[in-house]
Amino acid sequence: MPFFGELFVSEILKKPVLDPKGEELGRVNDIIVVKGEPFPKVSALILEKKKRLFNLPWTDLNIFNKKIISSKIYNEHLQSYDLSEKDLLIVRDVLDKQIVDANGAKVVRVNDVKLEGYNTEAILIAVDVGVRGIMRRLGVERGGEDMMRLFGKHLPYNLISWNYLQPLEPKLTKISLTVPRQMVSELHPADLAEIISQVSHKEGASFFKGLDVETAAEALSELQPDIQAAIINGMDTDKAADIIEEMPPDEAADILSDLPVDKAKEILEQIEKEEAEDIQELLSHEEDTAGGLMTNVFIAYPPEITVKEAIDRFRKDAEEVETVYYIYVLNEEEKLLGVVSLRDLLLGDPATRLADIMETKLKTVTPETDEVDVGEIVSKYNLVALPVVDTEGALLGIVAVDDILDRILPPAAKRKRR
Amino acid sequence: MTRWKRLVILLSIIGPGIITANVDNDAGGIATYSMAGAHFGYSLLWSLIPITIALVVVQEMSARMGAVTGKGLAELIRENFGVKITFWLMLFLFITDLGNTAAEFAGWAASNELFGINKYISVPIAAILVWLLVVKGSYRIVENVFLVICAVYFVYIPAAIMAKPDWHEVMMQTIKPTFHFNTAYIVMFIGVIGTTIAPWMQFYLQSSVVEKGVRKEQYWASRIDVIFGCFLTDIVALFIIVACGATLFPAGIKIESAKDAAVSLAPLAGKYASILFAVGLANASLFSASILPLATAYYICEGMGWEAGVNKSFKEAPQFMWLYTFLIAIGALIVLIPNAPLIAIMWISQVINGMMLPFVLIFMLSLINKPELMGDYTNSKTFNRIAWATTVIMITLTGMFIITMFL
Repeated sequence: MPFFGELFVSEILKKPVLDPKGEELGRVNDIIVVKGEPFPKVSALILEKKKRLFNLPWTDLNIFNKKIISSKIYNEHLQSYDLSEKDLLIVRDVLDKQIVDANGAKVVRVNDVKLEGYNTEAILIAVDVGVRGIMRRLGVERGGEDMMRLFGKHLPYNLISWNYLQPLEPKLTKISLTVPRQMVSELHPADLAEIISQVSHKEGASFFKGLDVETAAEALSELQPDIQAAIINGMDTDKAADIIEEMPPDEAADILSDLPVDKAKEILEQIEKEEAEDIQELLSHEEDTAGGLMTNVFIAYPPEITVKEAIDRFRKDAEEVETVYYIYVLNEEEKLLGVVSLRDLLLGDPATRLADIMETKLKTVTPETDEVDVGEIVSKYNLVALPVVDTEGALLGIVAVDDILDRILPPAAKRKRR
Repeated sequence: MTRWKRLVILLSIIGPGIITANVDNDAGGIATYSMAGAHFGYSLLWSLIPITIALVVVQEMSARMGAVTGKGLAELIRENFGVKITFWLMLFLFITDLGNTAAEFAGWAASNELFGINKYISVPIAAILVWLLVVKGSYRIVENVFLVICAVYFVYIPAAIMAKPDWHEVMMQTIKPTFHFNTAYIVMFIGVIGTTIAPWMQFYLQSSVVEKGVRKEQYWASRIDVIFGCFLTDIVALFIIVACGATLFPAGIKIESAKDAAVSLAPLAGKYASILFAVGLANASLFSASILPLATAYYICEGMGWEAGVNKSFKEAPQFMWLYTFLIAIGALIVLIPNAPLIAIMWISQVINGMMLPFVLIFMLSLINKPELMGDYTNSKTFNRIAWATTVIMITLTGMFIITMFL
């Protein structure tokens, strides 16, 4: 296994390749790739020494990473190489090429190519189309990152996965996307999740770097827990915190509970205080109980306000809330008095008070209730959400039907690796 | 092919060469040719013959590369020389074109001053107008209006004739090369070449040919278009120099403002000379101001691999939109500096064009001689010799300019 980790092609170009005794065999001039499943893979390096080209097959490599490249063979066994149109070379045929969308319109250019270790192969996982790639080629990636840090920002990664690119063929003049341009960032999060769950964890992590925070958060919540944890663990804390902050607190709590304690703590410290408190509260419950499933973001109003007032408030509040189909009616001690469905609210006489139209015969559970029981109640009474209350009857949170459904019937992306 | 079919192809392909020719005689061009005539009489006339030959060769190369590869010049440079070289080249061309944009706004400001309109009013209006014209997509309609008004420049032909120049002298100076080894002459020489064979125009022409969808088989029509355009440019240039050489040079007038340059049209238009000159200059400035920043933003994005297009928003194509906006805003702001020397801005930017030209030529020559790109359409020996000679001459002139500065 000569290759560990990931690297960009520009980082190894012109690097010396050493023989087992540490003598220089030549410098990396280009890389030959061949078709592979699921992605193209490296078949040989082309070395240059004294204006002559040599072919060093992948299998003859001993170490291959961005710091050291060494071979198992000596100078005298090195095969010379003649440039051939039939070979597909990364530098000659892929780097700097135009990427066009499915309609042939010019979009972006290949600034760099990313390789990653996969079993014993090095596969091409993505092309860098961002400013970061240009800076890396210019040798100022570090400087650019430092500059951006001065402004409290990060230099974004802008990668396009090979999933979205046409199969490579020799003599390419341009590379086309297999999906419309917008879709690269506008694929439904659940579809994104499915793609991510098909590739390695590491690639998933680097894939996430290319997404905007919102999309990343949505896609992440569609993944199975151990992949979620692996991906977040592989990211730097800042970016991870940004994504976690964007997620509903219950899902954020689920992910954090799967992380190593230190990492979770670090991330929590980066998150806005209010949000972090919500998450912390949820973290204190067992994962497979109502407490572990619930979210503490819901809509709740006092009993004395009128339907009209409630609707006005609802318009403002509902944007931030995931489950909006029930309006919970609480007294000053946060005790759950009743519930008004969204339907009743909209159909109700604007002048009546919530107390007059609320349903008081409620099904509730406590945080310790097992998830199976929660599921049974939701299913039996056809509920969209089930309130969770403490022994005093104060509303702690709600378990939404989609959260319980995920437990009982995990979606494809979550199921695949179970 | 029947004669009719050829004519139809010719008419459908024609355009890029002629538009480029007219954009070539922009504010910087008018200022530079006028000064060449006013300050040096007919003594730079001879340079127009080799310049025309070089212009034909260079523009023909651009158009041929566009038709054969279907790619823009910046694209080809990026794909064949990598991102590092492309980045630096684009950076220098960006600075050069920022100067050129400022020159267009300077021309606009100068012509408006002839009408008594203050530059603090005229320039911001033009900048916003140009920006909107392109972003709102109504440019194509206006382009034809610009093209028609460009015909104003043909008044230099009767103006030159009515100035009654010594035609024998003009003929002799046109065919007999002379050279003066002093800074002013050398700088003017670089400026005349730089304004005629401007680097950005090669990018613009090649992209226009690609956009027009010209194929190898129809390339002969593009060639006619380009050669016709080149002669158009230089005939106008010749008559501007003669008109100024016959009127301003003997009077010893140094052109320091547009008003001085307008005097050259007096033999034809009398007291209306200023108005005629102002209309022509205003049109040329606005025409080029709406093409140049756009062309620059396009080819830089093409080279750097950024999304480009006037129908895209700031969010979809941020680099493109910002480059375009920045060029117009800063170009206009330079002109708005109090007491900014408008005429100087116009012609110094052309000298910088001349100094950048050899670098662009080296890339063009290297690309066009690659058989894997051009197939059977690589350069002939004669073309290579002329283009290389132009490159060497420009480097030599720039070197001489630097040396004479220190002498």
